[in-house]
Amino acid sequence: MNIFKINKPKQGHRRFVFLSFLFLLFVGSANLEAQNRKITLSVEKVSLRQLFNAIEKQTDYKFSYRDLILDDLKDVSVNVESKGISQVLDQVLPAKNLQYKMQGTNINIIRKATTATLGNLITVKGNVVDATGQALIGVGVLQKGSSNNGSVTDMDGNFSLTIPSGATIKLTYIGYLSEEVVANDGKLLKIKLTEDSQKLDEVVVIGYGTVQRKSVVGAVDQISAKKIEDRPVSNLTQALQGVSANLTIQQTSMNPNDNKLNINIRGVSTMNNNDPLIVIDGLVTSLGSLSQLNPSDVENISVLKDAGSAAIYGSRSSNGVILVTTKKGKLNTKPVVRMNSLVGIQSPNVLYKPVSGYENAILKNIAANNTGNPLPYSPAQIQDLQKNGANSKWFLDDILQNALQQNYNLSISGGSQNSTYMVSAGYVNQRSNFVSGNNPSYGMERYNFRTNLVNTLGLFKLTTIMSYNRNESNSPNADTGNLMADGGRIPNYYYYKQKAANGHYLINDVLSQFTPLGSLEAAGSNKYDTDYLNGSMNAEMKITKGLTAKAMVGLDLNANHRATRSLQIPYYASEDATTPSIYQNIGGKTSDWNQKEYTINTQFLLDYDRTFNGSHHVSGLLGVSNESYSRYSNEIWMNYVDANLGIPTSETALAGNIGGKTTPMNTTLSDIASMFGRLSYSYKDKYYGEVSFRYDGSSKFASNNRWGFFPSLSAGWRISGESFMDSYRTNVGDLKFRGSYGILGNQNINDYNFLTTYQNYDNQYSFNGTTVSGTGFTLGNPIITWEQSANLNVGFDATFFSNKLYASFDYFNKVTSGILLYPVNPSVLGTAAGMENSGEMQNRGWELTIGYRAKTGDFNHNISFNLADSKNKVLAFTGNELIHSGDSKSDIIRVGAPFASYFGYKTDGYFKSYEDVQNSALPVGEDASQLAPGDVKYVDVNHDGVIDTKDRQILGNAFPRFTFGATYELEWKGFDLNMLIQGVGERTMFLRGELIEPFHANYSYTMYQHQMDFWTPTNTNARWPRLALSGSTSDANNYGFSSETQLLNAAYIRLKNIAIGYTIPKRFTSRFGVQKLHVSVNAQNLLTLSPLTFYDPESTEFTNNMGGPKGAGANSGRSYPTLKYIGFGLDLEF
Amino acid sequence: MKQKLRKYYIGVVSIILLFLTACNDLNQVPTGEFTDDTYWYSTAKASYVLNMAYSQMMGDGYFFANEALSDNLFVTRTSDEKLISSGIANAATGRFANEWSDCYGGIRTCNTFLENVDRVPDMDVTLKARMKAESRFIRASLFFRLTNWYGAVPLFSKNLTATESKVIGRTSHAEVLNFVRTELDSAILALPATYTKADIGRITSGAATALKARTFLYENDWANVVAETQKIIDSKTYSLFPDYAGLFSIANENNPEVILDMEYVPTLRTWSEYFDYSPPSAGRRVNQQSPTQELVDNYMTLNGDSIQQAGSGYDEAKPYVNRDPRLAVTVLFDGGLWRMPDGTDLTIKIKPGSGTVDEYKSGSGNNSLSGYYMKKYYDPTFTGSYSSGLNLILIRYADILLMYAEAKNELGVMNQTIWDQTIKPIRLRAGFTDVNATDFKASWTQSDLRKIIRNERRSELALEGTRIFDIRRWKTAETVLNTYPHGAKFSESAIDNGYIRLDKRSFNPNRDYLFAVPQAQKDLDPNLGQNPGY
Repeated sequence: MNIFKINKPKQGHRRFVFLSFLFLLFVGSANLEAQNRKITLSVEKVSLRQLFNAIEKQTDYKFSYRDLILDDLKDVSVNVESKGISQVLDQVLPAKNLQYKMQGTNINIIRKATTATLGNLITVKGNVVDATGQALIGVGVLQKGSSNNGSVTDMDGNFSLTIPSGATIKLTYIGYLSEEVVANDGKLLKIKLTEDSQKLDEVVVIGYGTVQRKSVVGAVDQISAKKIEDRPVSNLTQALQGVSANLTIQQTSMNPNDNKLNINIRGVSTMNNNDPLIVIDGLVTSLGSLSQLNPSDVENISVLKDAGSAAIYGSRSSNGVILVTTKKGKLNTKPVVRMNSLVGIQSPNVLYKPVSGYENAILKNIAANNTGNPLPYSPAQIQDLQKNGANSKWFLDDILQNALQQNYNLSISGGSQNSTYMVSAGYVNQRSNFVSGNNPSYGMERYNFRTNLVNTLGLFKLTTIMSYNRNESNSPNADTGNLMADGGRIPNYYYYKQKAANGHYLINDVLSQFTPLGSLEAAGSNKYDTDYLNGSMNAEMKITKGLTAKAMVGLDLNANHRATRSLQIPYYASEDATTPSIYQNIGGKTSDWNQKEYTINTQFLLDYDRTFNGSHHVSGLLGVSNESYSRYSNEIWMNYVDANLGIPTSETALAGNIGGKTTPMNTTLSDIASMFGRLSYSYKDKYYGEVSFRYDGSSKFASNNRWGFFPSLSAGWRISGESFMDSYRTNVGDLKFRGSYGILGNQNINDYNFLTTYQNYDNQYSFNGTTVSGTGFTLGNPIITWEQSANLNVGFDATFFSNKLYASFDYFNKVTSGILLYPVNPSVLGTAAGMENSGEMQNRGWELTIGYRAKTGDFNHNISFNLADSKNKVLAFTGNELIHSGDSKSDIIRVGAPFASYFGYKTDGYFKSYEDVQNSALPVGEDASQLAPGDVKYVDVNHDGVIDTKDRQILGNAFPRFTFGATYELEWKGFDLNMLIQGVGERTMFLRGELIEPFHANYSYTMYQHQMDFWTPTNTNARWPRLALSGSTSDANNYGFSSETQLLNAAYIRLKNIAIGYTIPKRFTSRFGVQKLHVSVNAQNLLTLSPLTFYDPESTEFTNNMGGPKGAGANSGRSYPTLKYIGFGLDLEF
Repeated sequence: MKQKLRKYYIGVVSIILLFLTACNDLNQVPTGEFTDDTYWYSTAKASYVLNMAYSQMMGDGYFFANEALSDNLFVTRTSDEKLISSGIANAATGRFANEWSDCYGGIRTCNTFLENVDRVPDMDVTLKARMKAESRFIRASLFFRLTNWYGAVPLFSKNLTATESKVIGRTSHAEVLNFVRTELDSAILALPATYTKADIGRITSGAATALKARTFLYENDWANVVAETQKIIDSKTYSLFPDYAGLFSIANENNPEVILDMEYVPTLRTWSEYFDYSPPSAGRRVNQQSPTQELVDNYMTLNGDSIQQAGSGYDEAKPYVNRDPRLAVTVLFDGGLWRMPDGTDLTIKIKPGSGTVDEYKSGSGNNSLSGYYMKKYYDPTFTGSYSSGLNLILIRYADILLMYAEAKNELGVMNQTIWDQTIKPIRLRAGFTDVNATDFKASWTQSDLRKIIRNERRSELALEGTRIFDIRRWKTAETVLNTYPHGAKFSESAIDNGYIRLDKRSFNPNRDYLFAVPQAQKDLDPNLGQNPGY
């Protein structure tokens, strides 16, 4: 029954295209498996068309018969009770000389095939499976060169086709790469089709709906589960690094307790929060929630980059939207049990290393000698240090250790006729690389539970999603930056120890307050837990053909709790001291902080989707939504508490010193009400047009400025669908142009900014020994309203070599105006004025995505590559310029320049001679007699003979440009290799502090190996200026200003992830009931190439808005070390 | 069919109803803060704004940092004060921007109070008048601070709008001073001479007069200095506290010598600068700044002679014995005592070779680089990390006496009577007993006396934040701040006789008598201009 022939059109390539087109139609919804639903039907003398309509009413099935003209004879009668559809069709179709093909719920009615009459014929039989061995149903099988001799595979993946002996058959299947096989007689062909990563019929999730890949007219990137699931990362956001063009993820800290990540789509376009909008299963949520999700629960992630696709989220979409869809079960499938685990070791990789102790002493003497200071170390002391060098230990090595990371997941999914389920549980345990001593081990654990249910009841479909996630972490009661700095800058002198043999913690003349080891082992810890509940109920009801009503209510709830115990630690001045000389955390402290945060989202939508005359596809959407956000928190702390229990004690006069904040002091409520809609039209999959809008009201603005309207328009043209492109389509591939323009909004600012408020502060002043309250005020501005960004996007999608190569390119130009800023007013105003819609910024860029699949022998290669750039420019800013300086670092916001650029003095090498010092412009006030050859020479930009603030220039920018990611997947006979390379082509990083300045400000006591390339009379071409003691004019000259000396090139390319795995052949595992058993070795951050070798080029001091108008603090290079991971993975499927 | 549709409509309507009811309102106001509409309704709330102004009048950070700008202290670590005293500050230096914005921040609070306090219903009229006067005093003191540092500054008595703030120009130093004095005059009339109970510590009419005297002192307007200080002396409200060391202890706060101070309370409102000033064995963090040899040398010997004088009894080998008792109160030197919170006294050995953690080490470590530590205002009752509740005195009676003596001398009318009213009681209180130290000598010329009074002022008021203003008005800053400061005689080097040579200071008389108008302010308001040399 599977054999059919197509009589027209005539030309071979046309036939192939035609066939493909048919299959495109077959696959209406890739989520639904073919099925044979039971029908009860009784009709007398109706036309075929009427019969089909009757069946469509009762079931999900959709009939198509576009290449036929059905007769309207009312000669069909059916009377069945609970019969399969095939039985019904088999009963009525043969009489009309018709047959059917079923794909999912689509039933295509076609002419009954007539047998070919060719000579020397053989019958080829075969079985088609996918990479996992699953039978593929409905694969097109066609004799190559013939226009009409073809077949499709049946429910078990089998086909048979009669062809001339030695002919080639071609197998085509939507979503898979086509395959050609030379047919030989008698032998059962076993054919494995490889999935096509760039499938045109892929269902792409967009705002409030889905669309097929080929119909996408916006800049939408969809990331499949495969790209995410096997990576040994502790959260989903990390897994998104490098997989999508212009989706920039910067991990500012690898500390499991403080996993700070910047996530950015298409660069910086507002001076406020640049976080994208996060939507999980249709519910708007927060960036934090994204990191709480279990990566293996994710079905796919869509990144909406342009206005065309994002405008439906209107008010908050100007930074792009990330849509996460979680996995669901499939109808009529047996339960599939999947288990996977990843266990590995994370080792801290500190890139800077101190010089040895005696070398350091010599270097310090050189520095002192250079600046005319007495030599701090005598020859005897240096000899002593050298002699005892073996007994020294770098403090950082005392506090860092290798740590275990474990990920386990279990999921069960499946479905019956009317319902599907997906239940999963996950567990992550990532230990910290800080030692913990007496404290409970540092690190984080996360538990994930999820139940996704879909039930169909007649016209209704009910989707219920429940996910509960618990995060528990225990972190040091100390700042990571301090731990790293204090641990790193102690010289390798044998007499510096953090702990005596008797367990006493030691201070010394350079770490005189506390030590990192003491802080980590005995200072107490922060226990932090989060209960995150994400649930929704989504009801859909079919109203008439094509029209569906949907209602959803969802809850996103975060309950956070932090309990801190701060313990008093005695420090001793020497190993044999009996009385402590200083205490850390005097009196101890206990504190509790609780926060509950929840968003209730209600939505109601009308969704329309229909194709008329087979060529006019119309879809529309109209909806209303409300999001109500509430946050309540409270805190209590108690000082001078019992050392063991942390309870009040009467041992000290200050016992019960209590403070905190109550719920009314810490409440935030906000609300957004919205109306939105979309109308899209396409003609014959050639021309596409779409308009969408959103109308939002936000409680963050006063009532008369509350509402914003955000429209967008997009269009697409599949030029390869035109008849004049027939030969292109056959010989090259698909080509589509698309463009969009729209206005998006942003309101990501704090609440209540439109009101002038008065804040009460306790203990602000005192009279006669009694404290009194003080009140401060914050000015509001009642006229603030939405930021708006006008967004243009043009791009194309193209495929080549029968879809083996896929390329997509987008260019965007985004102008954000009315950026909400605290205006920079002169200080004489006496306070910060309220926010204003005053900034304007342009952000332009492009992104290129290339995918390639190839097969060489038994090797399957899959390569994908993305490269992107974005560049911004401030167009308007009150005051036109704002410089922010912190320590010796400055950044600037200046009209015409990229936002938050590094700012300071350009350097012109080092002074070559004393004459050079005398003849050069010097920083204002500096005494030439105090400088020497080897000190930094600055460029006198305005030639006024002195280096002053007027000579400052823009030096660089920290936002990464030319970001790229590449994945390579290789399969060979059950073996697989997976690699992710990720990097940044251009970026500068400004560092100050001990990693740059030797003996930094008297706080750093050691030099590092990377600082050894300093200027000497024989090394004039050095990276660093001559050594000078802190406090000297030379030191102030060389490191006291924001200058190029401290500027580093932080471009890098990193082998982010590599995994090698093997799937044990099914024939061995199936006897144990195991469908799949896959083992792998994984590694992360194995290799990094960068001009910056002593500090992680990926780290940044900036947050999502580059520090914003307030500027970012000094970058001291004290972040948690980069981690290398090596581990094992195991996947099991039953 | 119609029936069916109606059913749908019911469903739709009920869903929309759900949508409308299940949420926060679009109208939200903060729950933990007042708004302009809800604030000005009680006397207590109005007084909180005034309290805020008190806290903005001056700060502990500036109190100690100002001393670091003078020749009394050496700054060990990078700081704005270090940049300024090294002569390499520029218009973008943080201190210049912060002093400016902090002062105008306080002025805003005062103006906000003055502009809104009349909105408070049923407020006691007398109380309101007093609070307005306190507020005007604070505002005047802030303009005085501004004009001392920057010369001409924007002057206004009402909150500016954003637009006004971008075009306002600078008012001359003389006009600003005129405004300050007029404001102080009206405050003097409205403020009480003393307070009782919970109000002790508030601004008195005496404080306003004293500040007014200072405005004349900084202008070398001697006649007016005499006139104003005379009023304070004649009022008999104030007297010298009998114990110099006790003056700076928490037990004697608000004693009759205190005219104006910043008030603190242990654990609740504290300052903690000594965490970075104390000696290592006392459990401090680092050393931020430490006294110079020049300050130490200023203290006389017990017989009233300067250490350079023949017959003073000064012995370079035992430099700290036989010295002005105020030295040991002000500076911690080698072998000095340090009282710990538990009441024990540590002997601090700083001299190299002592083998303690306090030992001076050249150019390294967290120890003092001058070989001395600060001591005045160290509060042994501190809690935690040197959190102290000790009040910091801004104007005290001894200062008034010294001002009076100096002005009288400059007017050429210094005599035994005035000496016995001023310097003598100060020296007696300091612990001098030798008549050579306490009694007036008729042989002194005006110039001798000028030196004596200036040295007395330095010794008496050291580490109290006044020195920088004194050397600026005497125009000696360009000398004393243009050289190498020194530390104790701990150096093995022959340079400067073995006194530790510290980083060179630089003071450009054509520029450094005034701070720069902050670069950012100048950029935002083109009418500000810049002070010479920046």
